[in-house]
Amino acid sequence: MKHVLALDGALSKFKPLQTIISYDDFDRGLCGWIDLHPNYVGENFNTLRYSHVDKTQWGPIMLSSASFRFAGTHGSMDGTYSMKLSTRPVAGKYTKAPVPGSLSHGIKRLTTHLPKGLRQFEMWYAYTPEQDRQGLSEQAMRAFGMFFDIQDDDYRYFIGARYLNAVDGQMVRKWQVFQAKDVSDLEWAYGVENDWCKRGIDAMWYGKRRQDGSTDGFEWIPEGYQDLCYNESDDKINWSYFRLLIDTEKREYVELQSGSTVFDLRGMKPTLTAPYARIKGLFNPGVWVENDTDRRVFFYIDSIVISGGDE
Amino acid sequence: MKNFQASAVERRITVTHDFASHPMEAGWASEAIFFIIVEEVSGAQATLETSVEISADGINWIDEGTSFAAIHSPGHYAAKVSHFGNWLRVHGKITGTNPAFKLSVHLHLKG
Repeated sequence: MKHVLALDGALSKFKPLQTIISYDDFDRGLCGWIDLHPNYVGENFNTLRYSHVDKTQWGPIMLSSASFRFAGTHGSMDGTYSMKLSTRPVAGKYTKAPVPGSLSHGIKRLTTHLPKGLRQFEMWYAYTPEQDRQGLSEQAMRAFGMFFDIQDDDYRYFIGARYLNAVDGQMVRKWQVFQAKDVSDLEWAYGVENDWCKRGIDAMWYGKRRQDGSTDGFEWIPEGYQDLCYNESDDKINWSYFRLLIDTEKREYVELQSGSTVFDLRGMKPTLTAPYARIKGLFNPGVWVENDTDRRVFFYIDSIVISGGDE
Repeated sequence: MKNFQASAVERRITVTHDFASHPMEAGWASEAIFFIIVEEVSGAQATLETSVEISADGINWIDEGTSFAAIHSPGHYAAKVSHFGNWLRVHGKITGTNPAFKLSVHLHLKG
């Protein structure tokens, strides 16, 4: 059967693959995105296992009009509302494990339905710290990123990218991809025996971090320095384009586009982990933001398109 | 069909002094219910008095006028608000001798 579709005009700012898996315009609600929280499957709905990283306190996501004290309402790129990730006003040093609340994290829970092949995540986003003090605060944003959490017949793997904006107040402005160093599961989980997270899983907060911005969970993208548009005041946000193209057949990165810059990632691979129980076919996109100082930072997403199939 | 979001704004925190919940944007919603879910209380004469606050900017807060009845024991408690602009949070005052409350703050928004 041949389909003839009249596409939403707002899709023209994306370039999806053949099959659109989801199109999330946050003027229509949160579209299935939810806070990330641990598994409350223990006694009295507590977690079963101890983890060095407390994942119960990540800042909540919300529908935002991007409103500010002096500017009023920014709205979103296509209307009024975006999805906002907001950290709590607490942060630790970069080289320590993230403290409770220093990140905010959104996730959408999917399973795959297409043959293995190309998959793509696109979003229009903006970011800023809370304008709770005078001055310009670009360096209060430590990092933001996006990933797919995938489990196929043989492996589970995280495949995604992070923009490392600042480390302990010093600007870095470089892109990295999820790729774990050759460390043990014990080292990966900050020395905690029998942690849920094995090497390569949840690099957003696992894996040792070093002062130069490197970590056991990420690899630098060659020539990955990029000045993003931050503007001249914490209440002026500019919508920017992000696109990550991956290949689930080869289990490798293909391309990262940020604004008009395209990074060729062919040949770079994520870290493969033995499959977990009960999550076969998992295809979860996730986004997160991390602060660098004791203040809230905000990451706004106007819209997201996830697609698969041929280009 | 209306939009709806249930948010666990504060999840099982233990508070021993006055506190405020995370600032939530709610401009899209026309009605809100704050739930306070208290799981444990300790201390002598421990009392939690909570009120709803609104804000022009999400940073500076003023009393909205809606308050919870004083809380002394575990349970589920709620307060309704329907005219609030963009920003919402609750502010809690704690009194007693060595008081501690293990609680969650949930916000249900509809509009």
